[in-house]
Amino acid sequence: MSTQELRKERIDRGIKVRSDGLYALMSLRELSYLTLPRFILIAGMISLPFLMPGMYWQRVISIVCIYAVLALSFDFLSHYVGLVSLGGAFFIGTGGYVAGILNTYYGVPPVLTVPLAAAIGGIFCTLMLLPCLPLKGVYFAIVTLMYPLFMARIIEAFDIFGGTDGIVGIDSFSSAFVEQYFVVCMVLIFLFGLRRFVTTDRGLIFTAIMDNDQAVKASGINITKYKALAVFIASSMGCMAGACLTHIYMWSGISQFALDFSILPIAATVIGGAGTLVGPILGCLILVPVSELLRDFGTLRIVFYASILVGFILFRSDGIMVFIQRKYEQFERWTKI
Amino acid sequence: MLEAKDLMVFYENMLALNNISIKCDDNQIVGVFGANSAGKSTLMYSLSGIMLDIQKKEDMAGGERITLTGDVLLQNKSIMDVKPSLRAKAGIVLCPERRRLFKESSVIENLRIGGYLATKDEAKQTINYVMELFPALVKLKNRLGGFLSGGEQQMVAIGRALMAQPKVLLLDEPLLGLSPLMQSTLIKSIKVIQEEKNISIIVSEQYARPVFPIVDYAYILENGAAVMEGTRDELMDNPDVKAAYFGVS
Repeated sequence: MSTQELRKERIDRGIKVRSDGLYALMSLRELSYLTLPRFILIAGMISLPFLMPGMYWQRVISIVCIYAVLALSFDFLSHYVGLVSLGGAFFIGTGGYVAGILNTYYGVPPVLTVPLAAAIGGIFCTLMLLPCLPLKGVYFAIVTLMYPLFMARIIEAFDIFGGTDGIVGIDSFSSAFVEQYFVVCMVLIFLFGLRRFVTTDRGLIFTAIMDNDQAVKASGINITKYKALAVFIASSMGCMAGACLTHIYMWSGISQFALDFSILPIAATVIGGAGTLVGPILGCLILVPVSELLRDFGTLRIVFYASILVGFILFRSDGIMVFIQRKYEQFERWTKI
Repeated sequence: MLEAKDLMVFYENMLALNNISIKCDDNQIVGVFGANSAGKSTLMYSLSGIMLDIQKKEDMAGGERITLTGDVLLQNKSIMDVKPSLRAKAGIVLCPERRRLFKESSVIENLRIGGYLATKDEAKQTINYVMELFPALVKLKNRLGGFLSGGEQQMVAIGRALMAQPKVLLLDEPLLGLSPLMQSTLIKSIKVIQEEKNISIIVSEQYARPVFPIVDYAYILENGAAVMEGTRDELMDNPDVKAAYFGVS
């Protein structure tokens, strides 16, 4: 007989139950159960540029934030709308080129190019992806993977927008301080905005589309419209990040359509915890600096990188954030059966 | 033949099966009846070992923790830790709920896949046997699984389970969503299978009436616990059972 006498059970912490449904928080200390994690995140993100030793690592933080926005848009699109998009590079590249063109050809200052790139790029990406919206799952992923390659080759072949050299001489942000705080704030605003958005009625429809699109259609909702809206939101975020990237490097070129921008956000989402929205940011905060540290290993970098990823998928496929969240909200104890 | 002793299954903190002991003797048809969420499917999964698979998957993904205790015995030997594939080899074959046909494969292919454990001769014989048992399938041999009606799909599913040369056949809700006529046809065939193949069959169902005439012994589950058990006649005379599972007041 293989009868165990004990089993481990997971119980929600009392404070979790009280803050979740009952709203019976009795002191500031109990309130801090909800506010503290958010405070740590916000304070941590804001103090990051200060904590970094020198220009190089400050620049890394900017890049982390750009990847974080991209990962956020991927997580939103794939786990709240059900469109697995590999088109991160498409969003970044489009946003980058729009910002570059506006800045160099029309002389628009960076303050305006970034929001304009988000709007124009978002509309452009949505229009381009509109024919693919009926696709689902791996088909949508493949098509979105093709778009960045397609754009890069068009720019190369027709030699437009500087061709292979890219657009040079783009204005940078007015100072490093502005640059870093702009991207950090962008990440935080998008994070909390999206977290709120997915719980609204519209967000509910998105989740429903992911679960069963036929049932949503049967409820009299035009799912193409909603999918287009979701793609617009995600691509605007990506384009905004791309515009920032352009201004940070003062250059926009074909390499902004590189596959890195499609793959790294996915890796970050897997490591951080899919469907948590905070997870992808956490993933980026780990992955991007790690890949910087591994630069010494040259091309072997990818080997380490891939090993980390495979390890995570095999042994912690729920992601760091889901794990932390569970530890924070529940405790375990042995009970008699 | 197949026996479960003090079987308990927890999905996280929810008790899905509570101390269930059931027994299926040689050449017997045992019925397991209960409403939704009574634990029928969980019991079937635990008997066939699929539960171990689900447990492992959930564990790897960091999802629900499933706790299994108790014992499952096949011919008085514990098979609690035996993998589902090996249990199938030992003769416990599950015909899962909602049929789960291979939708992209034709009827004959579905049967052949089920015959992985059988020798070539056995497979050939069983295919012929299934075609004899369900003559409706002869014409549909090359139709894809996804294009069959519910009843035809269920026939293929039972046939596929038979192909694995079971000693104990577990049928999880074989009558789900079928017309009364189709139900009675299938039930008759189940009886025929039991008699001709000399195997034990455990069949679970929500509504007892169509299945009841063929079972030798039955268990009634409620909220994960076996609240009543007895031979067909014993249960038939019980007024509670009549009211709850036959719709007779």
